[in-house]
Amino acid sequence: MPIVEKSLVEGLQRTETLEVEGIDVSGDWNTFIASRVHTDLDLSIVDWVRGQPQGTTIDRCWQCGTCTAGCCLHTDYGLEEFNPRYFIYLAQLGFEKELARYAQTVWRCVSCNKCVERCPKGVKVEEVVHSIGTYLELSGTAPKSPADRFDEAYTRNLLERGILDEAGLFQAFEAGEGRTLPTREKLRMGLKLLFSGRLHTGPLAKRTRGWGRLRPVLERMLAEDLAGRRRGLPSRRPPTGGP
Amino acid sequence: MNPVLVLGGGPAGLSAAAELAALGAPVLLVEKAEYLGGNPKRWHYSLLAPDLTPAEEVMGPLLRRVEDTDLIERRLRSTVTRAEPRDRGFRVELSGPESSGWREVSSVILATGFDHFDSRRKYEYGYGRYPALIDFKEFEGMIHDDRLTRPSDGALPKRIAWLLCVGSRDVQVGNPWCCRMGCAVSIKQAVEVRQKHPEIDAYVYYMDIRTYGLWEDLYWKSMNQYGVKFVRGRIGQITQAEGGKRLVATGEDTLLSRPTEVPFDMIVLASGMEPGTGTKDAAQIFGLHVGPEGFLTPKLSDLNPVDSGRPGIFLAGAATGPKAIPDSVTEGMGAALRAYKYARD
Repeated sequence: MPIVEKSLVEGLQRTETLEVEGIDVSGDWNTFIASRVHTDLDLSIVDWVRGQPQGTTIDRCWQCGTCTAGCCLHTDYGLEEFNPRYFIYLAQLGFEKELARYAQTVWRCVSCNKCVERCPKGVKVEEVVHSIGTYLELSGTAPKSPADRFDEAYTRNLLERGILDEAGLFQAFEAGEGRTLPTREKLRMGLKLLFSGRLHTGPLAKRTRGWGRLRPVLERMLAEDLAGRRRGLPSRRPPTGGP
Repeated sequence: MNPVLVLGGGPAGLSAAAELAALGAPVLLVEKAEYLGGNPKRWHYSLLAPDLTPAEEVMGPLLRRVEDTDLIERRLRSTVTRAEPRDRGFRVELSGPESSGWREVSSVILATGFDHFDSRRKYEYGYGRYPALIDFKEFEGMIHDDRLTRPSDGALPKRIAWLLCVGSRDVQVGNPWCCRMGCAVSIKQAVEVRQKHPEIDAYVYYMDIRTYGLWEDLYWKSMNQYGVKFVRGRIGQITQAEGGKRLVATGEDTLLSRPTEVPFDMIVLASGMEPGTGTKDAAQIFGLHVGPEGFLTPKLSDLNPVDSGRPGIFLAGAATGPKAIPDSVTEGMGAALRAYKYARD
């Protein structure tokens, strides 16, 4: 039976040309649905979360759904994919791949703490969910989002000379994302920056005074902070970037 | 022989008293309410889980065995206020309308029972504020008398929900234990409703279903024969709709991983079991050990569950933890035998 609404099927894999045992099966038959079977139970996430100050209560959860039931994002705001019970369940059993799909959603929590107030087992749901998000971010399990990449480009740009080069930041980010704005638009923004005195790119580059001494201090601080947050993460998985 | 003091006139106490009388021992039965029969009587229990036996058919014979003998001295609206151990037995101070003062007793059976959890303490449900929100102990009386009217307008409800584990298995109210009865009694109530009014839809919201042992049959029957529906998820909050005519239960259907906001004409809260006030008082008066949950703890709960560990004091029924009526009756018999032996030796 042909799949009519192909766009609705999750995880479609498409090949333009495909040959199986010498037979060309491309054309109408080149669409396959990825297996939905979970095969990646890996407890390193729950082990890590449990070791964090915010994550100690993760093992108490028994999936009653009281947290999600009262969650203002899930129920009131209608953000259905924000489901703290489900996040904790996936983390407890180690469904990392499934969890990675929610790496961005996890951070939508507004910390109203209704879940913590109501949880019959005393799970600090809000803290545990944030801890799960931290794991996904630091371990590189989830692909980085455009927002993550923008944050990184911003930090790099600022560290360069201690003063933000907005035009340079935009160019670097644009190149990384592999897409460009129309030249006319860029020109308009460039002129705006120039006239407001914020164009610090190329020959107009400025530098914060004493930056040569300050920069290594900041860089060391950032590195130490990251190392501290990565402590205890499984080392087998190098952080990955890219979409 | 001095009488055996039986404190508490619920199923366990009645059973102990009746058994002692059958052995020929005099009994002093003290009950703080103005009637015998304990919680089943107080709340007008309807049918009993799991066999759907009318509560009267269980409590009636038990009460008659206690009332039809001269060996049992019944003291209603009475309490024990002080107790002193003697060489054998005790000296206890009674307080009540008929007689106050000290009495000599040969041994003591504490059958002080449980109290239903006060559902107002789960404030997010709104019990006590919403008329259509019923505690299942009150619902017993309602189905017993077939008064299934919606409090808001007197109409027959079309859709009723039961919420399990209200005040049980919940650290927020300090009651981490399972009440053992809530699942079976709620399912029984749903069955009873469907028996009498098949046009009413019945939904049970659960975290786990604990119809242990042979009681599982009731759970199966409720689905196969009576079409009771089960939703896996705990309700997070309840709000009123249509000017208080209906209630909306907000929860997550955890099998769907989706929020649900379903209107009900009536919601029944399966409030758990807590140590009764009588149990707490008795522990203090007789200097007995209570566990972290506040129930009395037998010295050897496996080997001798009716022995308090203090000579001459025996325990029976829900004073030592949530218990069904048959278990309470059995423990009353066991405690009677032990107390008799102690008093006679």
